[in-house]
Amino acid sequence: MLAQLSGTVEPGRVLVVAGPNGSGKSTLLNILAGVIRPSRGEVRYRQDEGDIPRARWFAHLGVAAPDMAVYDELTAVENLMFFARLRGLEARLDSIGALLEELGLAAREHGRYVGTYSSGMKQRVKLAQAVIHEPGVLLLDEPSSNLDTAGHDAVARLVDRFRSRAAVAVATNDPREMAWGDARIELAL
Amino acid sequence: MRASSLLSESLAVLGKELTSELRSRVALNAVGLFALTTLIAVAYQIGPYKIEEADRPHLLSALLWIILFFGATSGLARVFVKEEDARTAKTLRLAARPLAVFFGKLGFNLILLLGLESLVVPLYCALMSYTVESVAGLALVMACGAVAMAASSTMVAAIIARASGSGTLFAILTVPLALPLLVVLIQGTKAAATSAALAAVFPALRAIVSLAGVTLVAAVYLFPVVWHD
Repeated sequence: MLAQLSGTVEPGRVLVVAGPNGSGKSTLLNILAGVIRPSRGEVRYRQDEGDIPRARWFAHLGVAAPDMAVYDELTAVENLMFFARLRGLEARLDSIGALLEELGLAAREHGRYVGTYSSGMKQRVKLAQAVIHEPGVLLLDEPSSNLDTAGHDAVARLVDRFRSRAAVAVATNDPREMAWGDARIELAL
Repeated sequence: MRASSLLSESLAVLGKELTSELRSRVALNAVGLFALTTLIAVAYQIGPYKIEEADRPHLLSALLWIILFFGATSGLARVFVKEEDARTAKTLRLAARPLAVFFGKLGFNLILLLGLESLVVPLYCALMSYTVESVAGLALVMACGAVAMAASSTMVAAIIARASGSGTLFAILTVPLALPLLVVLIQGTKAAATSAALAAVFPALRAIVSLAGVTLVAAVYLFPVVWHD
């Protein structure tokens, strides 16, 4: 799987990874995120002409994928404050609230436990944790899954906001999400 | 953005663990119920008067640690498995440095163990008429024992979580780590029960601290590998 795959993604570009189920879209994003080590080849992230050590990738990457979740026992705000603190950020309530509203989660919902949310609302919180630290690399696996049209539009605006400042990779088969890309990789079975 | 530190990140993980636990009470219920049930069963069946006076310090020290150990393992082992079950492990893995996760989880397990000891030890002393000559010595053994047991349990919990929560693997990995620790903990507790001199617990205490140190150093090197690979 993924043999002969090579390339560079610069900040300011959105790469779409498409292909049928089982072709390796999520596997590729997991390799890019450092969750899976490739059996051959390597992934490198560069900043200021130097490679970012693998142990520091977490500070530069934002990832949202279907096999990830946020904490059901915490509220949306508590979840984001936790992930902000992990990333060494000042956890400010106003900026967290603004981010959640940008993703379409109304202010009245911010104090509810995530366990009581619908799957679409959870997806919004998951996307918020991926971008709370304004990452230089954003990896999104099926980012609009479980989202309604308004949610899809919110994600499109988010991707647009990051287009100018980050390298973005989106794994998808949704034609609306494919339209976000500046470049596309079509994986085959 | 401010400079992040391992301490503040570990405290963030610890805070999240405590908040989640206070709301779900999964580990608290498991540890508390298991420990109290075992304690009552032991007290009812063995009782304070069925052991020869000469054998009491050794047997009662051993029984106390058996109760604490089995009570603790019912909750401590879940600290990473629950992240895998809830699909939050990957989110955490991608957001935090491994050692912050380890020390945060270790802190939670330590608090859980110290809470368990605070509940079980006085009850055990009362129910089993277990007299302790050196309370300070016992407190030292309990505190250092909690650190050592929390360190080994946290490391083993991380390994079994990566092995799909295998209970068999937990048993296999826990025995070599827990056995020497339990032996010195029982010796230290017995020493505190029989001698009023604080120095009586020092030999056992040195062994407990050494085991805790070795486990912690090994965990600092091994945990990032276990957590990521």
